Amino acid sequence: MNPRRWYSVIGMRLRAVLQRDRVERDLDKELRFHLQQQIEENVAAGMSPDEARYAAMRRLGGAEQIKEECRDMRRTAYLEDLGKDLRYTLRALRKSPGFAVAIVLSLGLSIGANSAIFSAIDGVLLKPLPYPRADRIARLFFSSNEYPEFSLNPFDFRDLRVRAHSFEALAAFTRGDVQLSGSGEPVRLAAFRVTAGYFQVLGLVPALGRAFEEKEELPGNGRVVVLSNRIWRTQFGAAPDIVGRKITLDLQPFTVVGVMPPGAEHPGNEYHALPYGDSVDAWWPFTFEGDPSQRGSHYVEGIGRLKPGVTPAQAQAELNTLLGEIGHEHGGYGGWHMLVIPLYREIVGPDERMLLVLLGAVGLVLLIACANAANLLLARATARQREIAVRMALGAARARLLRQMLTESLLLALVGGGFGALLAPGGVRALVALLPAGFPRADSIQVNASVFGFTLLVALAAGVLFGLAPAMQSSRVDLQQALREGARGATGSRHHQRLRDALVVAEVGLASVLLVGAGLMLRSFVNLVRMDPGFRPEHVLTASLSLPDTDYKTSAGVAHFYDQLVANLAAAPGVKAAGAGSDLPWTGYDENDGGFTIEGEKPAPGEEFHARYHVATPDYFRALGIPLVRGRFFTEGDRTDAPNALIVNETMARVYWRKRDAVGGRVAFSDNPKEKDWMTVVGVVGDVKDRPDAAGAEPAFWWPMLQVPFAQMSVAVRADSGAAQLANELRREVHRLDPTLAVADVRLMDQIADAGVSTARFAFFLVGLFAGLAITLAAIGTYGVISYSVNQRTHEFGMRMALGAGRRDVLRLVLSQGVRLAMAGVVLGAAGAAILARVLRSLIFEVSPADPLTFAAVVALVLAVAVVACYIPARRATDADPMVALRSE
Amino acid sequence: MSKPSDLIQGTLDLLILKTISLEPRHGWAIAKRIEQVSNDVFQITQGALYPALHRLEQQGWIRGEWRTSETGREAKLYALTKAGRTQLEKELAQWERLSSAVALVIGMA
Repeated sequence: MNPRRWYSVIGMRLRAVLQRDRVERDLDKELRFHLQQQIEENVAAGMSPDEARYAAMRRLGGAEQIKEECRDMRRTAYLEDLGKDLRYTLRALRKSPGFAVAIVLSLGLSIGANSAIFSAIDGVLLKPLPYPRADRIARLFFSSNEYPEFSLNPFDFRDLRVRAHSFEALAAFTRGDVQLSGSGEPVRLAAFRVTAGYFQVLGLVPALGRAFEEKEELPGNGRVVVLSNRIWRTQFGAAPDIVGRKITLDLQPFTVVGVMPPGAEHPGNEYHALPYGDSVDAWWPFTFEGDPSQRGSHYVEGIGRLKPGVTPAQAQAELNTLLGEIGHEHGGYGGWHMLVIPLYREIVGPDERMLLVLLGAVGLVLLIACANAANLLLARATARQREIAVRMALGAARARLLRQMLTESLLLALVGGGFGALLAPGGVRALVALLPAGFPRADSIQVNASVFGFTLLVALAAGVLFGLAPAMQSSRVDLQQALREGARGATGSRHHQRLRDALVVAEVGLASVLLVGAGLMLRSFVNLVRMDPGFRPEHVLTASLSLPDTDYKTSAGVAHFYDQLVANLAAAPGVKAAGAGSDLPWTGYDENDGGFTIEGEKPAPGEEFHARYHVATPDYFRALGIPLVRGRFFTEGDRTDAPNALIVNETMARVYWRKRDAVGGRVAFSDNPKEKDWMTVVGVVGDVKDRPDAAGAEPAFWWPMLQVPFAQMSVAVRADSGAAQLANELRREVHRLDPTLAVADVRLMDQIADAGVSTARFAFFLVGLFAGLAITLAAIGTYGVISYSVNQRTHEFGMRMALGAGRRDVLRLVLSQGVRLAMAGVVLGAAGAAILARVLRSLIFEVSPADPLTFAAVVALVLAVAVVACYIPARRATDADPMVALRSE
Repeated sequence: MSKPSDLIQGTLDLLILKTISLEPRHGWAIAKRIEQVSNDVFQITQGALYPALHRLEQQGWIRGEWRTSETGREAKLYALTKAGRTQLEKELAQWERLSSAVALVIGMA
């Protein structure tokens, strides 16, 4: 159809609707003209004027009928009908506002919740990653059965980069924070050391200056830096001449070569993880230092941009072939292979399931709200049955009645959807505030057009869903029956009652599914909170420090600094104990070592001894409240001139020394240890897991800080009370020793512990909220149906009581009706939950998805709610007056 | 008088389009013209004519315009639009195909 014709067609239709009167007048005039012509012709043929007029009118036929046919041709009837339907609906709704408000409120709440969860899905899962052709970016890992996603060795990476053909660009990166000084208090920058191809892989181009070149990967050439837009603005006042300027990082001069544009987002990392998004302050070159033949240490993370048409699987196959070659050149990598995972999967993988579970949960709530609305509509339709029967008897088409009833449900749904859309922004803000720490892409969750589009679709679907069944039902009335019954006010047909019962059973069932989910989440959360963390987080202040190697050239210097710092802190007023360690509990693991030797023990066949390794000052354990199980803590005596000491955790003692006492056992970090290489276990401390939801603790050991000093340490200070007030004291003590040091990550141990359970709390809170909404809706639904049925049966109850039934009998009769429905619902719901709960397995902690306690509690709760919901109508039933019943008979 | 159903659906459309393809006419004139040209084989009733005119107008193939007729009365004159002319050609071609096919079949028998 050409556009000109479209214009005229649309214009016609609009005119037909908007200028209806004028169009009608024109039609009238047109037909009158025709009549006039006919009359004139008749007169010309010799008839008298009157005769001519009658003949012409006979010939013309029914003018009204012609007009009606012409109107049909205008095809505007449906619009006029819609207007009529809307007016009729509004009139009907105004007559029963409670009904309308109940539907709009319950729909609005559930649609709003759906929109909020959808906005999270949209921002986290659906929105493309903020890189050009992000689907071609993949993460590279060194992988074994035990460590599926391990870091790469830099020289292995360099060899792979030279030999691989599957990638447009390959890059390695590793966390390498730096301290920026020069003006005011030094600040620690969250920074990454990256190889030359890094920005190319991500498809990011510096807004000013340039990215890194390969020659900057050579030792000694790496004193250049690319700044983030944020740091450029906040620290350098967005100076346009920043490129080429020398700045001081870790007390060394670095040349700024580039500034990234805003939105140059970090793709996430594992080792000393930094959250996704705009979290990186600066990038500087990774330099390949040391002996390329030594390939034992793995600490860089790989990322690559696949060539067009190359799949991750193909790239992985190529890398594995290459790894075989490289391994052959360097003594073999038995049990290890390369893993290539699309970046998107790596980022959202772990949280995808939780979001989908939440979407499922709100979806169920919406279904329940729809069932409720359908029930209310059905009850009304039953009440209107006589009216409908009369209309049908007078010739109303069934389709026309259906349309009118669907108009009503769609109108309610759209108003509910509008209400939901109003709630959505607030819901999204609350949701984002509740999100667990470090949730990927949380910053891209927002209410936008696609969320509103989703809301509209959901509202329309809901309107059709809850409107169709009642509409179909009531337009299928048996006319004779309905008109005859009408004499005594239409009673709900058996059919309607069955449908209503089925809807209540479905509501209760769906609510039970949600309750089981919420129950499992609650149990899981309680397990996490009640679990002995292995440390005492109360009243502990922590911070992290990093000593620049330019100022602390020797390990003795590093050891002296931390020794002095913890001694000074311990002497401060209000401090119970102060210590420093290479890391803090529940922050993931920093380092893991494998292949060491334990005197007199052999690892299981095909495996090697491995353990998390840490460094601690003597009072580190006391400050964190990690208990001593056997032996002793480190002391000031465990220094370089004393025998090498080691503290292990309970898991390591139990797994590696089995029946023997680990205290006194010896460990060495070489294959053929000489006497001086041995380290003696002096103590066993309690287990602390990597993360609170980890299945168990991993073997772990600690070196004494004085013997193995680390430049980057976390400080922990236990106070008598009010640890937060020690923050200034801590800063003062650090700067008394070294005014150029940045004190970073000042946090209470409570906050760290809390972040550890935030995911479980988030999941429990939301699913619990939805389950609460669901059971409330289901209770309202049950109440509605029982209440309706009591109204219908008032006469029957009166008769029963007239025949000698007691109030208790009637009460029991009504309650048992409700409980039967609830029972059917909860049985179906529990069966459904038993199947669905399996998807929760990875989201719950130390609870079986078939937890009997949870299921039993849900059944009890649902039945109790059903009894409460039925009690009020049941009481009303007992008020039935036997005399009234008898008289009306 | 033939009833409108005697006309194959769509044939009336074709006749109307053809009739006004030379000059704009009002409803009365269209009916008269078709009757004359067809030697009174087709008697167009108003009950068929006006709905058809309104349908064609709604579809954008013809456009009605109020003019003062030769008798001094206001009449609604219908004219072909550009899209209507294309439609007429299409329908004519189709009609010819159809009628020659019918003629073939009848001739065979």
